[in-house]
Amino acid sequence: MPLSARGRQVAGELRGATSGVSAGVLGCEVVRHDELCVGCGRCVSACPTGAMRQDDWFDPAQLFSAPAGTGRGALAAALRRIARHEPSGPFRVPDRIRTFRGILFSADLCAGCGACVRACPTGAVEALPVPVGDVEVAPRGLAPAGAGR
Amino acid sequence: MNVPAVATPEARFPQHRVPEISASGVPVSEVIADSADGERSIVAFLCRECAYSAADAAGNARTSLPPTIRTIMVPCTGRVSPLHLLAALAEGADGVYVGGCLEGQCHYREGNFHALDRVAFVRRLLESVGVEPERAAMFTMSAADTPRFVATARGMDATISRLPRLPRS
Ligand code: SF4
Ligand code: SF4
Repeated sequence: MPLSARGRQVAGELRGATSGVSAGVLGCEVVRHDELCVGCGRCVSACPTGAMRQDDWFDPAQLFSAPAGTGRGALAAALRRIARHEPSGPFRVPDRIRTFRGILFSADLCAGCGACVRACPTGAVEALPVPVGDVEVAPRGLAPAGAGR
Repeated sequence: MNVPAVATPEARFPQHRVPEISASGVPVSEVIADSADGERSIVAFLCRECAYSAADAAGNARTSLPPTIRTIMVPCTGRVSPLHLLAALAEGADGVYVGGCLEGQCHYREGNFHALDRVAFVRRLLESVGVEPERAAMFTMSAADTPRFVATARGMDATISRLPRLPRS
């Protein structure tokens, strides 16, 4: 995925924003790994654009994909022993349950700043560099070459 | 008397068995095991400040309680996590319930409200995998309300005895 639409807009509004900045610093591609997510919500608090949001619903299927040896993995193991069938889909979460909530990511709101990636304690949000051809890159201290895209 | 300089949590709450249940999957089965083979069991997580006192008083008065009930004392129902409830079911209990303080009377302010929502969460989780949600419940009572403790214990026993044994893999 190239720089997101919102990222492009920000880059366009900030003149020279991309000069002296290499690809992947302003603008990274965000990939979520929901099986590692523990629902702590730090990515949500860190996100300046509202692209990461905490849902009111939880999908038990997410529990079943959690790695063994983690708290969620233990919960899934216990549930699996008594389950009569595969989980039947998301359900609404009671108010005081703060961590068992889905995290919604809207790629079109994302500015690619990477704050969520640094905030996540479990590595559930990954930043991939945007392919170099998609961002204007100029060496620090020099005027933008005007090339790029 | 030989008192350690810094009391460990275990020393302060010797009967508090929750960590054994959660941490390494060490069995609630120990709690459940004293039921005869084939008999149902219900694990009750009881708050030290209220429901456990009520249970204690019931015991002292030699009130007859359903033989299925196994009690675990917790310092506050806010300590009971979804994992405790599910681990108890997975390890052999047919039902679990949490006995806490009356709404607004939690000794740690809001523990019982957290427990209520966790029980509600566990019930939805059970429902989503085809297990009867009635297998998890929460009751609130005051420390002095021994009759309510006895009534809820009998009520839970009646609910669970109407359900089939919980199959586990
Ligand atoms: S990269 Fe920035 S804008 Fe995009 S989701 Fe993460 S914190 Fe939000
Ligand atoms: S910071 Fe990481 S673990 Fe926490 S909610 Fe966000 S993705 Fe999940």
